[in-house]
Amino acid sequence: MTKPTPNKSWRVREKRLALLLVMPVLILVMGFFVFPIGYSFFISFTHSDGTYFKWRGFENYLRVFRDPTFYQVLGVTLKFLMAVPLVILISIICSVLLYERIAGWKFFRIIFFLPNILSGIVIGTIFKTLFGYYGPVNQVLQSAGMEPQLFFISANKSIWIIIAALVWSGFGYQTVLLLSGLNSISTEVFEAAVLDGAGWWKRLWFVTVPNIRRVLGFVFIINVLYTFTSLYGFIYVLTGGGPGLDTTSLDYLVFQKAFSPSDLGGGAAISIVLFAIVGLLTVLQNKVFKITED
Amino acid sequence: MRKEKTYVSRVGLSKRARLPVFVILLALSATIVLPLFWVISTSLRSRIDFTKNQFGLPLNPTWENFQSLIVGLDVGSALIRTLIIVAIALPIQILLASLAAYGMAKYLIPGYKVINATLVSVMLIPVQVLLIPIYIMLAKLSLIGHYPGLVLVYVVMGLPFATFFLTLSFRDIPNEILESARLDGAGFLKTYTQMIIPMGISNLAALTILQFIGMWNEFLWAKLILQSNNMMLLTPTLALIGGRNQHQQETLLAAGLVITGSLPILVLILFSKYIMGGLTVGMGRSR
Repeated sequence: MTKPTPNKSWRVREKRLALLLVMPVLILVMGFFVFPIGYSFFISFTHSDGTYFKWRGFENYLRVFRDPTFYQVLGVTLKFLMAVPLVILISIICSVLLYERIAGWKFFRIIFFLPNILSGIVIGTIFKTLFGYYGPVNQVLQSAGMEPQLFFISANKSIWIIIAALVWSGFGYQTVLLLSGLNSISTEVFEAAVLDGAGWWKRLWFVTVPNIRRVLGFVFIINVLYTFTSLYGFIYVLTGGGPGLDTTSLDYLVFQKAFSPSDLGGGAAISIVLFAIVGLLTVLQNKVFKITED
Repeated sequence: MRKEKTYVSRVGLSKRARLPVFVILLALSATIVLPLFWVISTSLRSRIDFTKNQFGLPLNPTWENFQSLIVGLDVGSALIRTLIIVAIALPIQILLASLAAYGMAKYLIPGYKVINATLVSVMLIPVQVLLIPIYIMLAKLSLIGHYPGLVLVYVVMGLPFATFFLTLSFRDIPNEILESARLDGAGFLKTYTQMIIPMGISNLAALTILQFIGMWNEFLWAKLILQSNNMMLLTPTLALIGGRNQHQQETLLAAGLVITGSLPILVLILFSKYIMGGLTVGMGRSR
């Protein structure tokens, strides 16, 4: 072509092309994220089986808040939150140690990350097999002279097994994230701290952790988010929510409601409450860790 | 392993402490490697052999567990169904995301900030909120119980992250190169296929791998949309076999675990470099 002439029509065409490129993604995101949120709100105010919608105002919400099982399930979810500090503590320690370039750190990084690429169903099934009555854990207990345990009969033990599965499968990813945060700190900061005579633990607390504040905040947020929204796979395989409702988390409750279409309105109301809780916690953590500030 | 001069004392861990730390890390690795090894080993043992000693090695390895799963419990067809669904949904998703990301990264788009903010905030929506409305929407389109319904959901669910990720990656491609290509008369399509794709290839690879793993492992939508037994994907099938719960089934379950988990593990081993790089895209510079 001869010399390019960036006249007006060319600019307009350019803009149109750009919009055309973004359009499919935009339409799909609107249709499958933005619209469903509004739709979910609507459903939560109705009685519905998916084909008819009968307006009921706030009744579904009132029902949720009056229902003792809601508080029980919320309490179970809060118990699962214990996994968050555990995962983060372990990942901070691991990332700091890997940052020290301990021999084989690249190998360790991959090994720690391994469970993260497995489906929650796979992880749940592994833990269920390990902790089965005739499973290897009981074999070890027996050979140590202890009684074999029916782990999944007790609420407490079930919860701890699910937490263990969460920690086991989660800390590797957080370690990688924190490690990348550490790598972005300039080493001079540490050298200065060493010169000031700060010991290792002191440096960890007063130099390392503040310097990765933002990454740490991000890790906290995604962990809380994960605990509130991604347990259904583990729970479905490991305990089915039982015994009773003792391991039923909020997200598992919504999961069950979605599979029993007689009361979709009630299910939608619980999911909106879950959304509100998660949103609130995210905003709160954002404030605490000052992620958006500089 | 670049410029590692400060090697000895990055955070100043004393030399003496390095060995115990190494041992601790090794022990932690063992908690991951040993259960996985136990699963693989168990999957290769016969039921009788296993009952004698749970911790034995597969001295006479057998495929009988895999055989009875694949033939008897239809895990083979579940595997193929999963492969096909992912093989369709993944390229569509990456294509759509890469086009949009090209537009977002290199063109002036009216409302760019709003679009970007929408993509990011949409990623924080819990899937539970979408479950019921999308189920109803798909039911109205008669897509429940049909593969295209699940393909559609798989394409869409990863789209915000994929677009966000690629927009960040494509932004690093220098404008001058694209500018000079345009002066040479390269149109949009040529620039996209011959500049953007090749120059963003390592990030595209990282994204593809991450999204592959996500789709392969997905359970919720697969279970909700394809409920009938002869359409089930791999994860619901595994959950079903495990759910029947019986202790006489460890070897069978182990084989199911190996079938479901080996592809992601293989991908991790082969492409760990891309995965580790991909995980942290957008973290360092999201400001």
